[in-house]
Amino acid sequence: MKNDRDNPFSDEFLNAFVDGQLTSEEKAEAYERINRDHSVNRKVCELRKLRDLVQLAYAAPPPPPVHKAGPRSRRRTPLNIAAGLVAGFALLLGAVFGWHLSGGDAVPPAVSQSGAAPGPGAAARPGSAQLASARQEQKVLFHLNSGDPENMKEALDEVENLLKFYRKTGQRARVELVMNGGGLKLVRQDASPYPERVRRMQKEYNNLTFIACQNSIDRLKDERGITARLVPGTVVIDSGVAQIMRRQQQGWAYIQV
Amino acid sequence: MKKLLAIAMMALMTFGATAGIAVAGSYSKQKVVYHVNYGDEKRQKGALRNIQNHINAVGKENLDLRVVMHSKGYTLLKRANNNPDFEQKVANLKKQGVKFQICANTLRGKKINYKNDLYDVEKSDIVPSGVAELAHLQQMGFAYIRP
Repeated sequence: MKNDRDNPFSDEFLNAFVDGQLTSEEKAEAYERINRDHSVNRKVCELRKLRDLVQLAYAAPPPPPVHKAGPRSRRRTPLNIAAGLVAGFALLLGAVFGWHLSGGDAVPPAVSQSGAAPGPGAAARPGSAQLASARQEQKVLFHLNSGDPENMKEALDEVENLLKFYRKTGQRARVELVMNGGGLKLVRQDASPYPERVRRMQKEYNNLTFIACQNSIDRLKDERGITARLVPGTVVIDSGVAQIMRRQQQGWAYIQV
Repeated sequence: MKKLLAIAMMALMTFGATAGIAVAGSYSKQKVVYHVNYGDEKRQKGALRNIQNHINAVGKENLDLRVVMHSKGYTLLKRANNNPDFEQKVANLKKQGVKFQICANTLRGKKINYKNDLYDVEKSDIVPSGVAELAHLQQMGFAYIRP
């Protein structure tokens, strides 16, 4: 594993990051570094793209493992990564070739090829979130900008219910809860009514990220002289609003609490 | 001079044509989901008004409009069951093709009998999870609005 000073993140680490297999502390550290370092950022982007392509190639990916062991035990070895890459490209190639053969139907090639694709029964209720797009990774951003304890509880409830739903229905998912303005309070160790619950949810769902807005942290300091102490594992990004726009442009669903 | 005038005329005509299209303002087809998870009566009433105005602007034939309710949002249909003003508004929107969808988790959690307690709910109006439905619809290209 490469581990020079300019690139302290090994490929293994970055892969684990992209696959959502890091602990929340590691994730926070990674986010910070990615924001600072352009080359790492680019690398993560490429890994993500690759992962998405591989996922697209698998029509019905297995449900995410329920984590009992420590996150490190499930990390990919370089050999696995290489095997994954080869398999991914092979599938992609097959998919594209197959698509051309079939005359470029509107049906996504990877889907039409798979024997595991849902049968006609799935088409019976196309409106149902449970059946449709089950093979696709669900990406959902929740936005909380209110410091009302009731709203905070609702945000946690909604996030957790959704994560449980995806787990129960075997859908892969990534969920972010972006907090700005008054919503920042939820992850302020000195002010949150639910710091333990935030911690517990972080540990229970490694596909969930709590994201705090730097602008809101700065404003708290400037206007009220309060230095926010955040629940460990919280990721800080430059601007909550910018993150919301970024994610929507990347195809994430947006839900305001 | 003549040439200049001709150019000016052409510019004016082009501008006029573009402006004409803008004023005619025929929207193309839209897919929209309205999110209601609050119980405040005034706010719910405002949401119903927003939806009607949306239909008026775009035309019902151009709209696939859903209302997804969960958490305290379910009270919108409870009100429509007891309050004639709400009932009339919801019935009117339904006639124009609006689909009202309610979260199964909410019905279960709040022990609601949808046949008795809510206004005009069929089994097909119930979605397994309101939030998952919102995410799903956005992935299907629906725009998200929370009035």
